[in-house]
Amino acid sequence: MKVLLALIKKEIKQMLRDSSCIIIAFVLPVISLLIYMYGVNLDSNTVTIGIKNDDNNNPEIATLIKSFGHSKYINSVVLYTDEELDEAIRNSKIKGAVVIPNDFSTKLSRGQNAELLVITDGSEANTANYVQSYITSIANGWLASSKYRTNMYAPIISPEVRFWYNPDQDSHYFIMPGSMATSMTLIGILLTSLVVAREWDRGTMEGLLSTRVRPIYLVLSKYIPYFILGMASLAFSVFLCIFVFGIPFMGSFLSLFVVSGLFLFACLGIGIMISTLLRNQFQASLVAIGVGFMPGLMLSGMVFPINSMPDILQKLTMFLPPRYYVAFIESEFMAGSVKKIILENAVFLTILGLLLFAVVLRNTKTRLER
Amino acid sequence: MNAVEIRTLTKKFGDITALDGLSLNIEKGKITGLIGADGAGKTTLLRTIIGLLVPDAGEISVLGFNPATQKNDLIVHIGYMPQKFGLYEDLTVLENLILYADLKDVPHDFKKMLEFTSLTPFQDRLAGDLSGGMKQKLGLACTLLGNPAFLVLDEPSVGVDPISRRDLMRMVREMMGPETTVLWSTAYLDEAHSFDTSVVIDKGRIIYDGIPSALGATAQEFEEKVIELMGGYKAEESQIAKNYRYRAAEVDLTVEADNLAKRYGDFYAVKNNTFKIKKGEIFGLIGPNGAGKSTSFKMMCGLARPTEGTARIMGIDIRTDPERARSNLGYMAQKFSLYGTLTVEENLEFFGAAYGIGILDRGKRVDDIMEIFSLKEYADQKSEDLPLGLKQRLSMACALIHNPPILFLDEPTSGVDVLTRRDFWNHITSLAKKGVTVMVTTHFMDEAEYCDRISLFYHGETIAIGTPAELKERAGATTMEDAFINLIKESEKQ
Repeated sequence: MKVLLALIKKEIKQMLRDSSCIIIAFVLPVISLLIYMYGVNLDSNTVTIGIKNDDNNNPEIATLIKSFGHSKYINSVVLYTDEELDEAIRNSKIKGAVVIPNDFSTKLSRGQNAELLVITDGSEANTANYVQSYITSIANGWLASSKYRTNMYAPIISPEVRFWYNPDQDSHYFIMPGSMATSMTLIGILLTSLVVAREWDRGTMEGLLSTRVRPIYLVLSKYIPYFILGMASLAFSVFLCIFVFGIPFMGSFLSLFVVSGLFLFACLGIGIMISTLLRNQFQASLVAIGVGFMPGLMLSGMVFPINSMPDILQKLTMFLPPRYYVAFIESEFMAGSVKKIILENAVFLTILGLLLFAVVLRNTKTRLER
Repeated sequence: MNAVEIRTLTKKFGDITALDGLSLNIEKGKITGLIGADGAGKTTLLRTIIGLLVPDAGEISVLGFNPATQKNDLIVHIGYMPQKFGLYEDLTVLENLILYADLKDVPHDFKKMLEFTSLTPFQDRLAGDLSGGMKQKLGLACTLLGNPAFLVLDEPSVGVDPISRRDLMRMVREMMGPETTVLWSTAYLDEAHSFDTSVVIDKGRIIYDGIPSALGATAQEFEEKVIELMGGYKAEESQIAKNYRYRAAEVDLTVEADNLAKRYGDFYAVKNNTFKIKKGEIFGLIGPNGAGKSTSFKMMCGLARPTEGTARIMGIDIRTDPERARSNLGYMAQKFSLYGTLTVEENLEFFGAAYGIGILDRGKRVDDIMEIFSLKEYADQKSEDLPLGLKQRLSMACALIHNPPILFLDEPTSGVDVLTRRDFWNHITSLAKKGVTVMVTTHFMDEAEYCDRISLFYHGETIAIGTPAELKERAGATTMEDAFINLIKESEKQ
């Protein structure tokens, strides 16, 4: 016990003196949260579109143009010529345009099918979709309240859409918690991939092995300090997310920290396993980035949904802790504590973590032999 | 009573047989010196004795335990100091001591130990910032914690100056009780000569086991005998020198240091360093670890900018035209500074190019130099896989590939066995006869005798300069080592 305590103390001192540890644990999360908060936006909720009205003698049409101005998703610019419109789209000043033909009101008042030209910038497919649906819904909304309404049949079905768990459809609400999975993975895998290998590289391992240390002490002395560091970093990220960036948190802090702890345990296992097996810092860090980190994030489901992946990749994600954690943390933040989700992910993370711990312990020898 | 009993011990690493049916007894309560060429199996033997390695065959018993199966019971009685500094450079002196005290479950009473190692003023300094000599003392202090019954020391005195070396010896002798056994591997034969027993190992077998004085009454005779045992050394004509083509130059004072100084903040690493070296002279820079020798070297080759003063190489000022000055130099750094993952041939090609040998001449030059240095058979081996002696030979080949008129050698023989060192100095002295100017640092005082002139360096300043005979006379000493120690002590008094 005394030996374990001495080793942990030593590890913590080394950790505190190594500025890269502190940077990865506390500066990196801030940077990544800032990037995800202000740099990444999957909603593109305000787009600028152009409006060219060729039917400008009818005051009723002017209300249609006004209703584009009222939408919170759209900034509208009025354009007068085709050349102007063409240039604005080409220079990305607008992401799309609506052209109202000169017989628009005439056709509407006759009860004919009136056409509205919607142009979108197809080079940004995602934005183009938003533009199209925004414009369609604004035009329909206007029509329903305009004087041409009487000429229409009332639709039989009118879908009332509610976005549960994320009523504002703000992608930050799930991206920000997801980014915590990123920084936890960095601490768990990248930092720890160096810790055992460093002892071999610097020759300190030979000194340690010539004392009474037992493998379990060596292993725990690596797990415990980095577990503390990881949890401190998580607490810091959670604080920033909820209280600084105002991301709504519907779940319970208890289950958040328990499952996060299990996730960190599994990540530490990957990092320390790489370090223990390779005994070389340079190789270990490359492998940690290549094997543990990149696929860990790409296949976590945070950015690319897992159920749209090929079957074999879906199977592969079963072995990657971020998959379970991202699923858990997104639901914990947005939907609140859901017993089934917590339990399912916690069980998988525990199994994975214990499995990795066993591999690490098995490969920690008190001799120089492999 | 034996502390260690070994019968027909064999240990292989892949195709290489490190220990080849080795048998040995080590007497309890004695200091046994372990001597052998590089790659003879010294470190493997030590590691096997304390259970870090498991033998492939044979019997071994250490203090009544079998290290292969009872490592945990054995290790509490052992103090082991690995060859590579095994302490934490990012922990302080005191923190390292505390860690090892806790690992060995001994009380935190370091006052005596710190005084004893004269580390008291440095206890809050990071171990990584200590000089080489102090690092080794700290390593030994950690090893000695808890008064282990059996001390196993793997070349503790490599790269350590004569004063620190004496300190290390004194520490061990004072701390050991009548029952303490010491196994001390060393490259210094004078050290080995002072021990109770000598064991010489060669190609994984014991070739001598007995009292040192049976081999030679003096350290010098002992060294000759050991060399004989290890296969003998005949000074042949140096092929390196024979094939060396001196680039004619009119300059007579080939290397000049003129009031050279390097200051870091308020601290002078080197101060008022002035000397002139003649063509063909071997000039030794000798001094304790941390005296500023390497800093001087770096300034002289233009790797570090002098704060004051300057140096001239072949009359070219190192401050105004460092590149042209450097082209006259062959430099061998203290640490192995070749590319480990490149082969012998690739390293030579690279350094040839770096020193400006044209692509048309390079192939032939590389071929020639491999022939001269007998490196042909290793041409395709990665340089990191070579034994230490061959690494040094390759480093020297790289430094000489462009036929430089001046050689700068920074501790070229640290950690090198006695045979390789002899061979090395044969080349150096022969090259000097052909007109090559050599500036060299070393911690081997017997090597200092090869120098034409010596500058004794201490706290960044030259405290004495002259031929080895002059220095000995001035210090009233018979050996260079005593002269070194006397002169340093004298300077400390002032």
